[in-house]
Amino acid sequence: MTKILFTDKLHNCVEKWQSAGLTVIGPVQKANSSSYATVKNAGELDFNMVLPDRSIKELFFPQTEPILHYSIKKQEINTRESLPPNEPRIIFGARACDASGLAIDDPLFGWDYKDEYWFQRRNESVIVTIACTKADDFCMCTSLTLAPDSTKGSDVLLRPLENNKGWQVEELTERGREAFAKIADFLQESSEPAAPLAVVEEKFDLDSCVAWLKNPENFDSKFWKEISMRCIGCASCTFLCPTCHCFDIQDEGDTYSGIRRKNWDSCSFSLFTMHTSGHNPRSTQSARWRQRIMHKFNYFPGKFSVNSCSGCGRCSRQCPVDMGITETLQEISKLSQ
Amino acid sequence: MTEHIQNAPQNIYKPAIMKIVAKHDEAPGVRTLKLEFQNPAEHELFKATYRTGMFGLYGIYGEGESTFCVASPETRKEYIECTFRQSGRVTSALANADIGDLITFRGPYGNRFPIEEFHGKNLLFISGGIALPPTRSVIWSCLDQREKFGKVTIVYGARTVADLVYKHELEEWQERADVDLVLTVDPGGESPDWKHKVGFVPTVLEEAAPSPENCVAVICGPPIMIKFTLISLKKLGFDEANVYTTLENRMKCGVGKCGRCNVGSVYVCKEGPVFTATEVSRMPAADL
Repeated sequence: MTKILFTDKLHNCVEKWQSAGLTVIGPVQKANSSSYATVKNAGELDFNMVLPDRSIKELFFPQTEPILHYSIKKQEINTRESLPPNEPRIIFGARACDASGLAIDDPLFGWDYKDEYWFQRRNESVIVTIACTKADDFCMCTSLTLAPDSTKGSDVLLRPLENNKGWQVEELTERGREAFAKIADFLQESSEPAAPLAVVEEKFDLDSCVAWLKNPENFDSKFWKEISMRCIGCASCTFLCPTCHCFDIQDEGDTYSGIRRKNWDSCSFSLFTMHTSGHNPRSTQSARWRQRIMHKFNYFPGKFSVNSCSGCGRCSRQCPVDMGITETLQEISKLSQ
Repeated sequence: MTEHIQNAPQNIYKPAIMKIVAKHDEAPGVRTLKLEFQNPAEHELFKATYRTGMFGLYGIYGEGESTFCVASPETRKEYIECTFRQSGRVTSALANADIGDLITFRGPYGNRFPIEEFHGKNLLFISGGIALPPTRSVIWSCLDQREKFGKVTIVYGARTVADLVYKHELEEWQERADVDLVLTVDPGGESPDWKHKVGFVPTVLEEAAPSPENCVAVICGPPIMIKFTLISLKKLGFDEANVYTTLENRMKCGVGKCGRCNVGSVYVCKEGPVFTATEVSRMPAADL
């Protein structure tokens, strides 16, 4: 017997959470794209998609957010800090890759200096992950030592039953238990079996790719030029990536009042590293693509002992010129054989 | 305004407010601002943490923030001096700011020159153009406790005589008996009354031929100068482990989050900006 949340009780749960003061967020399909968005009722949640187009990152690290508001009068500067509003929330229906992505970035936002914009939201969010029963050709969690039912970064894992009847409930953390205690009345004990998990085939051999990347000789390999020749530097891959964390700090306003903002930025852009003098350490698209791959699979794990990729496949799925991490690591797999 | 120093959680992107108390034009387009903290708690924090080699993000609301070194030494922490060339949006706004105006400062960030390890050693400072400010911070940090160090040699060059920065301090060093100053300008950059060397820094350095014996070198300059100076130092017999430099990469956060200062696996803002030549030689040259 396992704890089961039946689909027909979901609207009760959403109402219950909302009345307990939680904002309910989940996968929502809109006209042109899908994302994790706040819902008013359970009917808005969409459990049919493989995964939302946009990653969960933006709920914790928005595309743009104010750091502080300033106003200047003669010789006086007044600033008003703008930390995220206190908003306890439950993200229902996260994918394992997205939840893992958050856990991957925690050490980055926390080493030495703690980014409260990230951690305040992390501390206020209950992440309820639904194991995947569907995958597409771009999914590659299994190539990254993860799986459709990985629990990394999740507070609760739900395993879908056959025919969308409901989910088996696995509470993983205290935070998850608390959130599900609130809806205990709507859970049932049942021996209903879980539906089979999605089959995600391994796309490349990660270990041999990492070994190739770590070999200093390959830094100057002509491979980088070849693989990135068709990159147009649009940065879609980095913006959609659940673990890409680069940002810019910009002022919006004038000499008298305005907002200092933290905005997404991307290592794909030529201006990203450009010095004032005109010198640009990564002046070509191939150098920039090499940086992205090296950072994810060589530099980042060197610092934080985890690859900066959770295998969601969005970089390849949405790339306008059909190159992403999968294609690159598949090629590296071939080279390293 | 600055309650974040005492109260957690701390907003790591919130700057301190500084007042411009003096300004000085060093060379065409190059200006030094002398800044004072407005909040005693922030000043105390700076005094407790600042060591020579560290950097900060200087800004003007409405324009943004720019990264440069703290040009004043760790032996003088009552104020901060920064020297910059007016070239972009932020530096133009800073150049337009006047005495009494308020600007923002975040820092000090990064690592430092381990000057305690230099005690008892001879010091060789080599610098080019606008890269004298970070070197100058180390120079004064050592000269302010002169007895702790051996021979001090400074080799400094610029494109033209006008481009030499800190001219008043160059004169002071020139007059000191306990400092050897070698000044040079690039060929064609000399003025009719120029009495010093003409030639590029690496060449002039080789002519001056300072002994590598018990000597630590601190070099700072444009990438091309560093490249050739390292070759010259090698010729003179210097060990890479005794050669220090500071990398000046573009930064936005200064605290290891925003990703742009990375050179290979190194986060320049956290692990640098000060590196030995040995450490720099391990970085991918193409990304420098």
